[in-house]
Amino acid sequence: MVTGAAPDDLTTALAACAKGDRTALRGIFDREAGRLVTIAERIVRRRDLAEEVVQESFIRIWTQAHQYQPDRGSARGWIYAIVRNRALNLLRDSKREYTVEDVELLRERDQVDHVMAAWHRLDRTSRLHDCLGALDDTKRRGILMAYIGGYSHGEIAGRLSIPLGTTKSWIRRGLSALRECMA
Amino acid sequence: MSEDRIDIGGIADEYVLGLLDAIEARQVETDMESDPDLKAAIAASRDRFLPLDDTAEPTVIGDDLWTRIDAALPVQGAAPIDVSRLTANDNRPGGWRATALAAMAAAVILAVALSVNLMRTIEPLVVAVLVNEAGDIQAIVEDFGNEKAAVRLLADFTVPQGKTIEVWTLPSPERGPVSLGLIDDARSVRLDGPALPKPHDSQLYELTLEQAGGSPTGRPTGLILAKGFAKITR
Repeated sequence: MVTGAAPDDLTTALAACAKGDRTALRGIFDREAGRLVTIAERIVRRRDLAEEVVQESFIRIWTQAHQYQPDRGSARGWIYAIVRNRALNLLRDSKREYTVEDVELLRERDQVDHVMAAWHRLDRTSRLHDCLGALDDTKRRGILMAYIGGYSHGEIAGRLSIPLGTTKSWIRRGLSALRECMA
Repeated sequence: MSEDRIDIGGIADEYVLGLLDAIEARQVETDMESDPDLKAAIAASRDRFLPLDDTAEPTVIGDDLWTRIDAALPVQGAAPIDVSRLTANDNRPGGWRATALAAMAAAVILAVALSVNLMRTIEPLVVAVLVNEAGDIQAIVEDFGNEKAAVRLLADFTVPQGKTIEVWTLPSPERGPVSLGLIDDARSVRLDGPALPKPHDSQLYELTLEQAGGSPTGRPTGLILAKGFAKITR
């Protein structure tokens, strides 16, 4: 697995943030923000919104740093989850804010390419690559569309032209197989 | 027991992937605080999918993003009231917007009352109450839909030397944010904006701090001072 920084460094940095050390947050920003903007942009599809997501996320990382404990997983996973959640929330909000057609148009363009590009770039030596690769194409695609592009069950069903109920149960089974494979 | 575990793993995965709706996701976030198994399942799920985040090519970002973050950081361990307020906001999905919407609901009457005063002869098509991140009302934008808009500031803004306040709207996601004009002296103004489609309900309006003369990119680049969604006047 390629990591931007040793998890221990980020754990230390979060502890320093909790004590009010701004240079520690700056350290996290310097190491991770470039990638985090890309991750947010894969979901919200606009650079300015992606930066807004990352901006709000860093303020949250700062205010919640004292809550981070190793039982919440790696520090890096915790930080990335904050950004993904912010991006997903913004997407859900903007669906209320714009008409459905607007959002569809915006997201249709090259989004599916992004999802498949991420799959092709995934570290081939990783366990995740092996286990995702063992799934059948539709299940793999559904899981990737959700994680990378922030697609909902309904959107995945639409894109893959399969009924909603089937989509849900396929993804559920895919995730279950993935957990088993990676256990 | 094993059935439960499978279930917890499934819920954790769907939460991490973002497949739960907002209410379910919030429930999971609450439950995980009192359920170590669920918390562990979510932790494991995040780390399981993390290699997919490593596929993202880091983008080059300007210094202004850090400047905006640094300017907005609260002091750690600040007054207890501030801390609890921050936590309350952060626990809500889409905290900033949720706050904004709540404040707006309370402010609609104020907006309607003010709009009557601002322009007695011509009715605006939409009115937007703009609030800051804390949900305090900062300004009201009235869009008349004829390339004219009025901005009334309801709070004191400190505009540093060499900076100006720029007014934006988002007519549609494809078009992206469009500048309506600048507020140079941090005072209420009438703006002559570009020709745009008729403003619609829930259209986003926003004030940002930009360098003097306006954003060099034609898109908002600076700190967001206030934002809010339009309501059609009735």
